[in-house]
Amino acid sequence: MEATQTRPMGGKQKEINVGRTERNASMVGGAALALSGLTTIAKRRLLPGLAMMAAGGMLMYRGKTGHCDIYESIGLDTGGSEDHGLTVEKFLTVNRLPQDVYEFWRHLENLPSFMRHLASVEVTGERTSHWKAAGPGGISVEWDAEIVEDYPGQLIQWHSVGDAEIPNEGLVEFREAPGGRGTEVKVTIRYYPPGGAAGKIAAKVAHALNAMEIEEDLKRLKQILETGETATAARSNGHH
Amino acid sequence: MKAVCWHGKHDIRVDKVSDPEIVNPRDVIVKVALTGICGSDLHLYNGKIPTMKPGDILGHEFVGEIVELGSAVTNLQRGDRVVVPFPISCGDCWYCKQGLWSLCDNSNPNSFLLEKMYGDTGAGIYGYSHLYGGYSGGQAEYVRVPYADVGLVKILPELSYEQVLFLTDIFPTGYQAAENCSIKPGDTVAVWGCGPVGLMAMKSATQLGAANVIGIDRFPDRLEKARANCNAEVINYEQADVAETLHNLTGGRGPDACIDAVGMEAQGTGLEAAYDNVKQTLRLENERPIALRQLIRACRKGGTISIPGVYSGFVDKMPMGAVFAKGLTIKTGQTHVHRYVRHLMQLIQLGEIDTTFIITHRMALEEAPGGYRLFNEKRDGCIKIVLNPKLQAGASA
Repeated sequence: MEATQTRPMGGKQKEINVGRTERNASMVGGAALALSGLTTIAKRRLLPGLAMMAAGGMLMYRGKTGHCDIYESIGLDTGGSEDHGLTVEKFLTVNRLPQDVYEFWRHLENLPSFMRHLASVEVTGERTSHWKAAGPGGISVEWDAEIVEDYPGQLIQWHSVGDAEIPNEGLVEFREAPGGRGTEVKVTIRYYPPGGAAGKIAAKVAHALNAMEIEEDLKRLKQILETGETATAARSNGHH
Repeated sequence: MKAVCWHGKHDIRVDKVSDPEIVNPRDVIVKVALTGICGSDLHLYNGKIPTMKPGDILGHEFVGEIVELGSAVTNLQRGDRVVVPFPISCGDCWYCKQGLWSLCDNSNPNSFLLEKMYGDTGAGIYGYSHLYGGYSGGQAEYVRVPYADVGLVKILPELSYEQVLFLTDIFPTGYQAAENCSIKPGDTVAVWGCGPVGLMAMKSATQLGAANVIGIDRFPDRLEKARANCNAEVINYEQADVAETLHNLTGGRGPDACIDAVGMEAQGTGLEAAYDNVKQTLRLENERPIALRQLIRACRKGGTISIPGVYSGFVDKMPMGAVFAKGLTIKTGQTHVHRYVRHLMQLIQLGEIDTTFIITHRMALEEAPGGYRLFNEKRDGCIKIVLNPKLQAGASA
């Protein structure tokens, strides 16, 4: 088959090389990323925040203009090919029994206490739940999820259902660590950046940062379960 | 409140800042009675530790009185006089449970930074850069103290704040350094650096059964403290060849254990010192490990190198061949202060060890900028400065 995409040669205007679904998703995902970058900066005032904002800003720009400099710089033009998602895999040992860690996680309303990007998780049925992630300027991303595997003290597997903006699935496994070292928690999150391969490549820019966020989430989970609170150097409850 | 703030290399100011508040359930607020300037604070003063930000409140040695408690702190009360260990440790993670308090998994909210540098994180530390959590320090009128239910130790009523101030850091640090030497009867322990940690290490080594203690420095007043207060033989490295003198003092064997109470800003003489100074200035090397190389060379076969001195990055020209050939054991790390406070407070109460002899200057909090300068330049016989928030500037003793 021949490539059907036509590219006007020598045009001065930046061409649209990002599909429409993906453009919308870029707006949402980019805004969310830019926000989480801002949050990171407010929290740590450090470089990763800036990088995240840059990635988020790039995505938003892409969504608005339909043009992506990164695609251009790597000579890629995406129309609608399929992708296989991006996977983050993280391990952490928590000094609590597997059953305790499992129960805390299985009580899905607890997730926003350590997953900073989540505003809320509402349990809607024995296996179903409604997730909200906060975005900037009142934008929020919402989706429904369903637990597909549930082995108490061992693992929980879930995936988004319906028309989630960013389809995703997750697996968390709990294994007793040797010698009374607690529980080895393994988290696998797979998400499907919208808009096919295009979205995937855009998301790759932010992927390392997402992976880092998930790692930070896990550390907060550990802090809450082990110490009953989240570590902070804040000197006040205000905006320091 | 008033607080001693870092504003850049050699730029320390006393700022007006907002009072700290209870943030987490296990917090308390401590009203500072006394606070020390530590030798390791000089690494910050000299800009050797990365991730400091202007306005950061310094200080990790402080004792005082509890004025406010979080909802989860039930074992302490308002008005309790307490020792605050400098590592911030949760008491719940596997490391804390093993007694490895300074390796706490949970207390450093910036753990990702240390993980990038070192492969894993350590505990947060008061007033010691954002690498170590960005916590505000104790050279202030008030401090927010996290995990207070496991961190704080009540001061015995008969002891003064001054008697117990050094339980926050340097006494346990010197003690752990000596303990790491696995001292056996007849052992000689040589200590590089006769500053506060070195002097505490010498006292502790004797307490733990060392037959002989040798102190190495270049400042006559420090050597005199080692000789007079710690019953040590002393070597001035500017006047004598250290390795040869140690060799001779130990019948040709070398010390059984050597303690590096100097760390990454060691001074030295000759070509080697010049080499490290140039490399450190050009940022080709973080440390000047001059003392450490000497320790390794001087230590007897099968002996122990104990390193309480602070290192933060890479060192050049480490004689690993000597470490291997002589079968040396190296022990190091931040101090697990929580482990030692109660035991050492008892030694103080029993009169077995007095630590106040190292104090050379007592100052008001406002006088901290001058204090840092004085301490850094080792002028006026300065060994240890204690700041008192209640003192008026100019009333220093």
